[in-house]
Amino acid sequence: MASVYTPPVQTLIDELGRLPGIGPKSAQRIAFHLLKVPADDANRLALAISEAKDKVRFCERCFNVSDAELCGFCSDDRRDSSVICVVEEARDIVSIERTGEFRGRYHVLLGSMSPLEGIGPEQLKIRELLSRLGPEGVEEVIVCTNPNTEGEVTAMYLARALKPLGLTVTRIASGLPVGGDLEYADELTLGRALEGRRPID
Amino acid sequence: MIIERIELVDYRNYASASFVLTGGITAVLGRNGQGKTNLAEALAYLATLTSFRGAPPDALVRVGADNGVIRATIREDDGREVLIEAELSRVGRNRVQINRQKLGRTRDLLGVMRVSVFAPDDLIIVKGGPAERRRFLDDALVALKTSYDAMRLELDRIVRQRNSLLKQAGGRMSEEIGITLDVWDARLADVGEQLGYARATLVARCQPMVSEAYEQLAGEAVPVELVYEPEWRRIGLAKALGESRQLDIRRGVSTVGPQRDELTISLNGLPARSHASQGEQRTLALAMRLATHRLVAERTGSTPVLVLDDVLSELDPERATALLANLPLGQVVITSASPLPAAAHPERIIRIRSGTILDDRTSDGQP
Repeated sequence: MASVYTPPVQTLIDELGRLPGIGPKSAQRIAFHLLKVPADDANRLALAISEAKDKVRFCERCFNVSDAELCGFCSDDRRDSSVICVVEEARDIVSIERTGEFRGRYHVLLGSMSPLEGIGPEQLKIRELLSRLGPEGVEEVIVCTNPNTEGEVTAMYLARALKPLGLTVTRIASGLPVGGDLEYADELTLGRALEGRRPID
Repeated sequence: MIIERIELVDYRNYASASFVLTGGITAVLGRNGQGKTNLAEALAYLATLTSFRGAPPDALVRVGADNGVIRATIREDDGREVLIEAELSRVGRNRVQINRQKLGRTRDLLGVMRVSVFAPDDLIIVKGGPAERRRFLDDALVALKTSYDAMRLELDRIVRQRNSLLKQAGGRMSEEIGITLDVWDARLADVGEQLGYARATLVARCQPMVSEAYEQLAGEAVPVELVYEPEWRRIGLAKALGESRQLDIRRGVSTVGPQRDELTISLNGLPARSHASQGEQRTLALAMRLATHRLVAERTGSTPVLVLDDVLSELDPERATALLANLPLGQVVITSASPLPAAAHPERIIRIRSGTILDDRTSDGQP
């Protein structure tokens, strides 16, 4: 379809449309919003993007986003280095931190195994994880990949790579949301929760 | 559960129409191309969230409109009234509401309404390729237990990922590919075994019911046999995948698993797909639909709404009468282009033309 917009506008729409979760209609709406707002507002966004791109990088150890060589968790001596929590994306760390239940270190894989997207173990930060185990004295690895097809396969791959090294490898449990009702749980989640039941002390 | 009313807005050829159905038999009459199958499709859509004609959701929206709505008022066995609404969008996301409450996931609608459709296209269950019979089995499983829907999607996803990995291998086996395949195989074996077991159990349960239904429809007892015995189920899918690995790598596709299974149907000891007559195939397809309809009614404790979409005209008068005589008790919607056989006894007759209701009256002529 030939573009009906002048090239700069079309380029803006196209670039916005490449962002995750933004479809063609949303891209169009955001583009026109940006054209309408004062130049200062639009420039502030442009600056924020380029500054973030310039200053933010991946932690050299765990691949969390960071503004230094090591991220806040990796440079914090108070954290327990014998436990590593493996997640798919840096944003997953935020979720786990909010629980306040975990005081160990993290490792971000930067994705999950998905041949359809050309992502195999080589593309993930798995080799980097393995090289951390000895030097940091890691005793347990908690695999916190997503409970979907790709996340489960990645978890299985990690378990197979880590177990022969004599580590404790655990998988985050799936189950019911706290404060929720059994009646509203979908049957898959409820099935998993039954599978992962535990004795009451 | 019965459907008391179904309303279509900008759906297929309907701009706006509201059908009041009875708890017994409702006949919807009209010439070809007036919207009978569209109505059947809409009823089934609320039960399965797919078109039984295989149309994508945006094709269900009336030409010229952006959004279509299917709205049904159903009455549960305990007397509760439930309003179900599905909004189909040509551009945005489809939405589903129950009693005006939006569902977080549209798939949560599955199982709220149960509808069995018998249509002339059912012939492909017998006559078509193995994929048609796999779909028949899996659709029946979902109607029995909605969690099979997630299982089937999961299997499909795993197979697509595995095939993609095999393609990337380019026919060559390396250690890295081998280790990665190991985990995909383990996952495929896990989900595949569950689906294989479910299909085998379903076939075993259905077998006598299909024989019985065939006899009722054909008026004579003919041995009907359904055989679902994939080679991999004898040795286990994990082992079968290991044995086929070299072949899979060479071909760049998964050659073993539930996605390749066949259900063989034979009549009188001969494969029905190649040896049965067109009439026998049609009766057999109908018998399979009737058997699963009865099985779902028996297992779930509530009879699905039965939609006979233009089926009667495809049968000879004896078989049409036999089908009507053997319908399970419950709500039935019959669409037809020709007058119904005398045995039908509809409580209500609705006549339609190009997406509008011309006439709607009870069988004794009362509007």
